[in-house]
Amino acid sequence: MSKLVEIINVSKIYNPGENEVRALDGVSLSIDKGEFVAIIGQSGSGKSTLMNILGCLDTPTAGIYRLHGMDVSHMSDNEQSDVRNMEIGFIFQGFNLIQSLTALENVELPLTYRGVAKKERLKLSKNALSRVGLANRMDHKPQEMSGGQQQRVAIARAIAQAPPILLADEPTGNLDSGSSREIIEIIKRLHSEGRTVILITHDPGIAAQAKRIITISDGKIKSDVINTAQEG
Amino acid sequence: MEYFKSAFSSILDNKARSLLTMLGIIIGISSVITILAIGNGMKHTIGGELDELQSGGVTINIDAKKTDRYLTAEEVKQIGEQIPEAYGASPQISGYGQAKAKNDLSANITGGNETIIHSQTEKLADGRFFTESDVASASPVGVMTQSAAILLFRSMDAVGMTFDATINGITKTITVVGLIESDEESISDAWKSVSAGELWQYINVYTPHTLLTQGFSLPGENIQSFTVFPEPGKQDEVALKAKRLAENMLGLRGQKAVSIQSFASMLETFNKILNIATMVVTLIAAISLIVGGIGVMNIMTVSVTERTREIGIRKALGARTGSILIQFLFESALLTLIGGILGMIAGYGLTFIVSKFMNFPPKILLSDVALVVLISTSIGLFFGIYPAHRAAKMSPIEALRYE
Repeated sequence: MSKLVEIINVSKIYNPGENEVRALDGVSLSIDKGEFVAIIGQSGSGKSTLMNILGCLDTPTAGIYRLHGMDVSHMSDNEQSDVRNMEIGFIFQGFNLIQSLTALENVELPLTYRGVAKKERLKLSKNALSRVGLANRMDHKPQEMSGGQQQRVAIARAIAQAPPILLADEPTGNLDSGSSREIIEIIKRLHSEGRTVILITHDPGIAAQAKRIITISDGKIKSDVINTAQEG
Repeated sequence: MEYFKSAFSSILDNKARSLLTMLGIIIGISSVITILAIGNGMKHTIGGELDELQSGGVTINIDAKKTDRYLTAEEVKQIGEQIPEAYGASPQISGYGQAKAKNDLSANITGGNETIIHSQTEKLADGRFFTESDVASASPVGVMTQSAAILLFRSMDAVGMTFDATINGITKTITVVGLIESDEESISDAWKSVSAGELWQYINVYTPHTLLTQGFSLPGENIQSFTVFPEPGKQDEVALKAKRLAENMLGLRGQKAVSIQSFASMLETFNKILNIATMVVTLIAAISLIVGGIGVMNIMTVSVTERTREIGIRKALGARTGSILIQFLFESALLTLIGGILGMIAGYGLTFIVSKFMNFPPKILLSDVALVVLISTSIGLFFGIYPAHRAAKMSPIEALRYE
């Protein structure tokens, strides 16, 4: 059986030529279904570039990215859009909710792009919002909610369509410690329910919650270890 | 449906800005609608009047600047009798005043001899036309159309009824002796006007010309203008003969004091003027619509920049290039469509006011409404292409990074 995520010798080079920047330099890694992986690195280490490539928001300059055994490294914009829509649930540092839409409408959005019928969409979205404890805030707009609540809406949006991969980019970066704990607990719970979680962070304390920790520096993988503290 | 909802709420979120953006479209569309409605109304009313009353008539004028001679009513009648291809010839005197029975209306009272019935093509539906002896005795009798009878008496069964006509302060009671057939459309329009109480139309009444000159003291005993009624297709021939006969009677041969004026050429002139006016206003409206469209393009471009992050989010969540393109095209088309509809309402409001002053019913055509919807939507689509394309081709990473 093929791996869920398989990256082979991937590089991302900006400004090719004299002043080229190798944001990623020959990175290879694979992630199995059901794993909880943290990718940790300082800013400028290449972890954001890696996350963009893993999330199909960007394509590598060289190398191959296979998702479900399907080569997604050389797709057109629209094909990438479809892969993002079907395969990946994003959780961003800045929440990235649309301010003019209510919580429910924000959660519905990826389902709309997938072409799910209105009735089914509402059912899935309400269900997802209930699972993050926001059943009573569905009609609120983002600015009427706290940071923690906004991030929970974003999580609901990411899980409503049940994608195989949850990609969380510094999910607690804009939150106080109380809300951070809450969000990490929700992410851990989602993992325990069988989802594959990829967590990108610069914070070793957050990374320590994962079962596998990949450290990245200068565009290369420095270490890839099983976190024994969380194992079992 | 989702696009519609999203576009609508985005327009509502920026009400003041949306309204200002629409202004150019509103002005453009309202001026198009106003000129179309006024033009149609005027063509309908005036054209209808001319068609109905003077369709076959050719008017012969004696130029008062070149001669002080004139014809008598008897001589005019003789001219008609001497031309075999003509149904007759009649003096034509107009009196403008009020007619009062069940309703009170403006009236255009046309005086002529018994041959003036040939000035219109419809048949008599009821009663009789006035006769030679009515003319000789200046009888207070009149003939009008069925629709005029509805407006004045609220009844089509008006033969034998009387109304008070007032011209220049003189009031006479006139008996209706005959009704000219009206088509179904004008009959139902007349009933609608009566039940709505909208009585701004003129009614036309034919009476003996002697009633106007003797009864109402209008000038016209000395005839310097009369109408001959040619058989179909004989207009030019009859006009020429009538002109010769008048010149002979007056002893004015070769002095160019007698001229032919046909209503067909009047109608043509009127249409020409109206067409020029329509073209000028349409040109102004077109410029206003283009300027309005550019305004929409500017605002949409600003809106796309402001919403870069939203676009990034949508793309990250799986929106295809086409979805973003359609979203913004939809928004700009909806913006101009709403502008077009507001412009249409403003235009009809303006037309309604103008028509009150100018005494003709505003005419709203379904084809105009369809045209407005089509034009305003196309402007939105056309001028929305650039900003929508800008939005659609954004890279999701850069859009997400945008602050």
